[in-house]
Amino acid sequence: MTSAVSSSVPRAQKTWTYPPLIRPQTLLIALALLGFLLATGRDVEMGRMVRMTGEAIWATAGGKVDSQVARGLGRIGPSLFPLQMSERQEISRIEGFDRSHLPWLSHLEVVETPIQVLNPDTLRMESRPERVEYLVKPLGYLGHVAVKLWETLEIALWGTVLAILLSAPLAFFSAANLTPSRIAYVAARGTVSFLRAIPELVSALFLVLAYGFGPIAGVLALALHAAGFLGKFYAEDIENADPKPQEALVAIGANRLKVLRFAILPQVLPQYIAYTLYVLDRNFRMATVIGLVGAGGIGQELKGRFDMYNYHHVGTILAGIFLAVFVIDQFAARLRRRFL
Amino acid sequence: MTLVRDKHIAFDGIGKRFADGTQALDGVTFNVRRGAFCVLLGPSGSGKSTLLRAVNGLTSPSQGEVRIDGQPITAQSLPSVRRRVSMIHQHFGLVDRASVAENMIGGALAAIPTWRALSGLYPLPFKRKACDLLATVGLEPDHLRRPAGALSGGQRQRVGIARALMLDPEIIIADEPVASLDPKVSRDTLNLLRQAAQARGVTVLCSLHQVDLALEFADQIVALRQGRIVHDGPPAALSGSAVARFYDASLQPMESRA
Ligand SMILES: Nc1ncnc2c1ncn2[C@@H]1O[C@H](COP(=O)(O)OP(=O)(O)OP(=O)(O)O)[C@@H](O)[C@H]1O
Ligand SMILES: [Mg+2]
Repeated sequence: MTSAVSSSVPRAQKTWTYPPLIRPQTLLIALALLGFLLATGRDVEMGRMVRMTGEAIWATAGGKVDSQVARGLGRIGPSLFPLQMSERQEISRIEGFDRSHLPWLSHLEVVETPIQVLNPDTLRMESRPERVEYLVKPLGYLGHVAVKLWETLEIALWGTVLAILLSAPLAFFSAANLTPSRIAYVAARGTVSFLRAIPELVSALFLVLAYGFGPIAGVLALALHAAGFLGKFYAEDIENADPKPQEALVAIGANRLKVLRFAILPQVLPQYIAYTLYVLDRNFRMATVIGLVGAGGIGQELKGRFDMYNYHHVGTILAGIFLAVFVIDQFAARLRRRFL
Repeated sequence: MTLVRDKHIAFDGIGKRFADGTQALDGVTFNVRRGAFCVLLGPSGSGKSTLLRAVNGLTSPSQGEVRIDGQPITAQSLPSVRRRVSMIHQHFGLVDRASVAENMIGGALAAIPTWRALSGLYPLPFKRKACDLLATVGLEPDHLRRPAGALSGGQRQRVGIARALMLDPEIIIADEPVASLDPKVSRDTLNLLRQAAQARGVTVLCSLHQVDLALEFADQIVALRQGRIVHDGPPAALSGSAVARFYDASLQPMESRA
């Protein structure tokens, strides 16, 4: 086989040597990089991480070792189950409750609890059953979580819509081949970096102070950060678009906006759809996080339940978030396939 | 008056030195008659593209000037020049992902208000014209919606020609319009360009690499070598030895020397 290859062509001169796999410079850079990784890895305790994780895996597999990680996870995990599905409400607290028209799928439940009361005749404490009637909706909490998830999705969606509107002019001015002036370019680039540098959670903290609790703060926090992200990526695609069609339009007297619309947008649109779908996906996940600081959505519910030690509720919420992220991902993949 | 009519495009001592020191053109002087089909010949790097791009201001000469109807091209006159001069490109200059219809409108952008261009509410006359021109160059109605990238090379260049006619130009410059097409399609495409131009009295300035096609289609052949004119005259005046002279063997590409 090899002899066939080597004998079929006359030998080339010595100056023809096939490039080696690794050159000395590459090796040197790789070694330097390795040293750097080792040094920084020690700072962030990667050694301890590996040891503890190993112990946890060993302990789970039945090994006789005391693992702090396995113990911790072992306590939290089961406490999330069974997931909370139902919702129970005292009917005395429901305004205008109508016994003959119960909501769909729900039923009444009577709970008798013994309570101690003072008998005025004997002046003794007596145990007496107290009847409390509850309205039980078997899937009530699930419904509540679904509503909150939908609200979160709405926040993510509007965060994305505002981000697109905000990033479009930013991208125009921060693309070197379209920007009308150097000053506009620097200003736009600066704004884009600034927006991207502030994490959603941080801006949400301030926006909650400004706009109060609720979805407005959430939408704005998501929109500002995502506008920085989209502005950067939109602009880079504009700069990398094939210049030939652009020149063809400049040659017949089209202005910048027309060139953008006719020669650049059609080229970059599929990529833009991909970025925007990624932002929608990310915004949904971030929307659950910024809910923690009171910016609306499922995160606010999650924080409340966590603080009240309602771990079964927390379990339902986490399962719901996972499901929603999965569904959004599938939806995005489908859209992406259509356009790419 | 006849003098001006005679010189539709006048190149007067055009020189171009790029920032890196390359002297792409040097003292190029010739005229193109109104309605003529003028072909530029010359080996790679002889300055054909650079010369063509001077006609619509994509490059500005470092010496000399280009005049259209006696009017020199300046920064002030450039917008009006670009309205009257269309261009056809070697790689078609179309946006592959955009539909043929959108690409056609692209040829009329100079005459469409920006808000209409951006909103997609193009003036009806231009939409009509796009259809009429595509029919003239032999495309089918269902090509309109197809992305330009889904057409064959020959079809794409037909779109390129149709697009160049959108604003009824006086001049069409074509930079190697058939470089990526097979010989049969090349001939058909040049035929179409020549006929369309003749029917409308359009002056064509076209660079080619195929001497046979130049001899077949040109009214005037201008040959460049290393940025200088080595021939200017009708095809009949071009002998085989003259052709060999401006395609000097030492400048031929590798493959043809074996
Ligand atoms: N933007 C530029 N900067 C520097 N040099 C350039 C530039 N454009 C062209 N040149 C040089 O100018 C010379 C003429 O180039 P030009 O593209 O006009 O040749 P051409 O005749 O069109 O060649 P081809 O037949 O290969 O298209 C070449 O040497 C080229 O390298
Ligand atoms: Mg060229």
